[in-house]
Amino acid sequence: MDIFELRKPELTRRDFIKAAGAALVLLGLSQALTPKVVKALEEYAGKPAVVWLEGQDCAGCVESFLNSLEPDAVSILLDTISLRYNETAMAASGYQAENALAKTVEEGGYILVIEGAIPLAEDGLYCTIGGKPFKDIVRECAQNASVIVCVGSCATYGGIPRSGPTDAVGYLYRGTQKHHYYDDVGNKPVINLPTCPLHCERLVAVIIHYLTFGTVPELDEFQRPVAFYGENQHENCERRGHFDAGRFVTDWGDPEQQGWCLYLKGCKGPWANQDCWKRLWNNRTNYCIQANHPCVACSEPEFYESVSPMYERQFDVELPGIGRVDIDKVMWTIGGAVAAGIGLDMAVSKATGRWKGNGETKANKEGKES
Amino acid sequence: MAQRIVIDPMTRIEGHLKIEVEVENGVVKDAWSAGTMARGWEVLLKDRDPRDAPYITSRVCGVCEGVHAIASAQALDHAFGTEIPEAGRIMRNLFCAGLYMHDHFIHFYVLSALDYLDIMAVAGYSGNDAGLLALKDKIVALVQKSDTSPFTPRYEPDEFSVNDPEIVTTLVSHYIKSIEMKAKSQKLLSIICGIQPHPNAIIAGGCTATPSREELIEFRELWEEQVKFVNEVYLPDVIAVGTGPLLPLAAAGLGATQGNYLCYPMFPQDAPTSPNDYVLGGSNPLVGGGAIIGGELNPVQVLDFGEITEAVEHSWYDYPAGVSALHPSEGITEFDVRKDGAYSFIKAPRYNQEPMEVGPLARGLVNRYPELMDLINAGAKAGAVARHFCRAVESKLVGEAGLAWIDRLIELATAGPIIGMKDKLVPRSARGMGAWDAPRGALGHWVDIEGYRIKNYQLVVPSTWNASPRDEKQMRGPYEQSLIGCPVPDVDNPINVVRIIRSFDPCLACAIHLIDPETNDIKVYKVS
Repeated sequence: MDIFELRKPELTRRDFIKAAGAALVLLGLSQALTPKVVKALEEYAGKPAVVWLEGQDCAGCVESFLNSLEPDAVSILLDTISLRYNETAMAASGYQAENALAKTVEEGGYILVIEGAIPLAEDGLYCTIGGKPFKDIVRECAQNASVIVCVGSCATYGGIPRSGPTDAVGYLYRGTQKHHYYDDVGNKPVINLPTCPLHCERLVAVIIHYLTFGTVPELDEFQRPVAFYGENQHENCERRGHFDAGRFVTDWGDPEQQGWCLYLKGCKGPWANQDCWKRLWNNRTNYCIQANHPCVACSEPEFYESVSPMYERQFDVELPGIGRVDIDKVMWTIGGAVAAGIGLDMAVSKATGRWKGNGETKANKEGKES
Repeated sequence: MAQRIVIDPMTRIEGHLKIEVEVENGVVKDAWSAGTMARGWEVLLKDRDPRDAPYITSRVCGVCEGVHAIASAQALDHAFGTEIPEAGRIMRNLFCAGLYMHDHFIHFYVLSALDYLDIMAVAGYSGNDAGLLALKDKIVALVQKSDTSPFTPRYEPDEFSVNDPEIVTTLVSHYIKSIEMKAKSQKLLSIICGIQPHPNAIIAGGCTATPSREELIEFRELWEEQVKFVNEVYLPDVIAVGTGPLLPLAAAGLGATQGNYLCYPMFPQDAPTSPNDYVLGGSNPLVGGGAIIGGELNPVQVLDFGEITEAVEHSWYDYPAGVSALHPSEGITEFDVRKDGAYSFIKAPRYNQEPMEVGPLARGLVNRYPELMDLINAGAKAGAVARHFCRAVESKLVGEAGLAWIDRLIELATAGPIIGMKDKLVPRSARGMGAWDAPRGALGHWVDIEGYRIKNYQLVVPSTWNASPRDEKQMRGPYEQSLIGCPVPDVDNPINVVRIIRSFDPCLACAIHLIDPETNDIKVYKVS
């Protein structure tokens, strides 16, 4: 059902309410809120302007957005938002594109979507558009935006480019640390939607939420919606029973082991807080673990350096406050898992801080947004 | 007097490209192509576990994505000495064939078509088709609200723009449909590769996905839908437009390069016959490789990876003194973002010291696509229109070939669980290369492993070839060549310039070469 069918007058009242309820399911909100969504979408007169910037990106996030099928991406582009600037899709080239951006920035009040990392090294010369460093374009656009949505791990934390030589950062974060480079922009609501690439449903849900309620959803310590990042892969994994029983894939070519836990193949699920296990990808079709590929915790700020090697269980873990831990030296069991040191991984992570083995996020623990 | 036009950002491409042209008497006299963004992929891959490479290099680009994963996985298979299982090879081929179809039709409709249509002609549609009327109402309503983003602003349509309301409205409806079809393509591909974009399941050793027979039957149905769209919508549209309103541009050879073409083999249909075949992922490629120099098709030259070099004369990198060109496996690169005379982050790859066009036209000429030969016999020349034409033709070719591959995979899945992977330990010391002709052209990955870690990782990517700046001999790169002689009657409306550049399907995140900060250690790498 096309959510944006909501706008068409010939829709019956019952269909309208059904579609509004579906929008809430997408958001992970209670359907008791349906009357509120219905009212908001009925009253919504215009299409909010969207500026979508791409910096040190691969375009995987905009490609992922176009994968939206329920609702379909074209409905969003034609009926719901006014996409004033996006270099991948817009008709305008060169000066016409620059003018379209300048005009929208001057009007103000738009949704700013940022895709790709922002390189700060060498005065920002590692990414220029129209001769201007991307880091400066971001500042200009952020100043007049009403809300900022960082799509993908690059725009959130710096992503894979962060481990390169260009001092690539996200809008707020360089990995786990806030960098304060855009503090002068002031207090703008920022929503971060990491994973590599973006999952289209999370962006669509956030847009619907914003149009309906005029606010950002409940966010965690990294400004990620708790609805999508408040649960843990390992706690909810369909292969958890195999982990608990000690059945681990050691040879991908062995048919006996198909479907078993991928921990020994490097799965970083215990450290990944996202809802891929619930939402799946590509319109409920598949996802990494279901395709026998270990989770690489791309939702987390530590991605990519600290999850490398991706296909090895981390034997030699560097943890803040503790230093290097040689897990191979210690035998532990937790919840029935008997492979060497797995339990220690969890216990050490729990004790130290950022990576928690039991799915607690700071938000959950304190019972509020940080 | 010459006028200089700068187009930056070049939109409706992937990545960050600046095009500068000098126009005199209504015609382009000279041109410069510049990549304006770099990330440093090699630096971050250095000292990493080699097995990370396919996942990480897929992220070089989110549009062609998995072709990097495949080329990378092939380089590792070559280095590790892995013969991947048949199911793994089939899944990699299917991934690429599915990618070809949607990448190509999205390029035609979403990235290119707006340069050839007067979209406002939709308002004049007077036919009876309910769907087209609804589309007309939608567009007219947007016009009335003065909010037609992202279709405006735009360059003014010229005499080659299609403005017949029925044709334009139909093409716009196909544009909209193509986005849905692309989403469905990535949905079906995720069955065999985990997620899309970025097929995480494709790694060294094969493909980790183990689709069931039922899933593959669904896969086949969805695949047939893609092939149907290619055969009944995309290819007919390209033929109609190419042999109709754009025929004058085709006959004039608008956007042709100087006659050098390069392509690598792809879609290996059989198992490797020797370890050398690991570079290509197997043997008996559906589409063959080769080189054409100076337009000489008889015969096409046999491919030799040893002939590849890269220059940095006009690129923001330094080479050691006295060195002007290096084989990619030697990988000496050092950033120099304020270097005099440089204007691009893209290096200048050359084959036998020649700039080479890569991509659909290269494949079409090297492999003599029959439909391309027919088009040329009918008066069309190599150039922008021929590129669009070759894309549509090869989409049909690989889409239909895929059906037999799916059937074979269903056979395997019926006989027992799919086994797509051969697990191998990382060798202490090894070298490998992986090659594939991606949708945009010739793609090569080179890996050098020492102490179980990546010592050196190099990519030479299709858009590196095409978007290349001048080299140390001042020879222009393909984009720069293609613009010479391009008509620009109105310098504020350089619509032919963007038509030509977009016909190459630029992918700049791919093009920007990767950097290696180790400057003084030259290692000679012999490619087998």
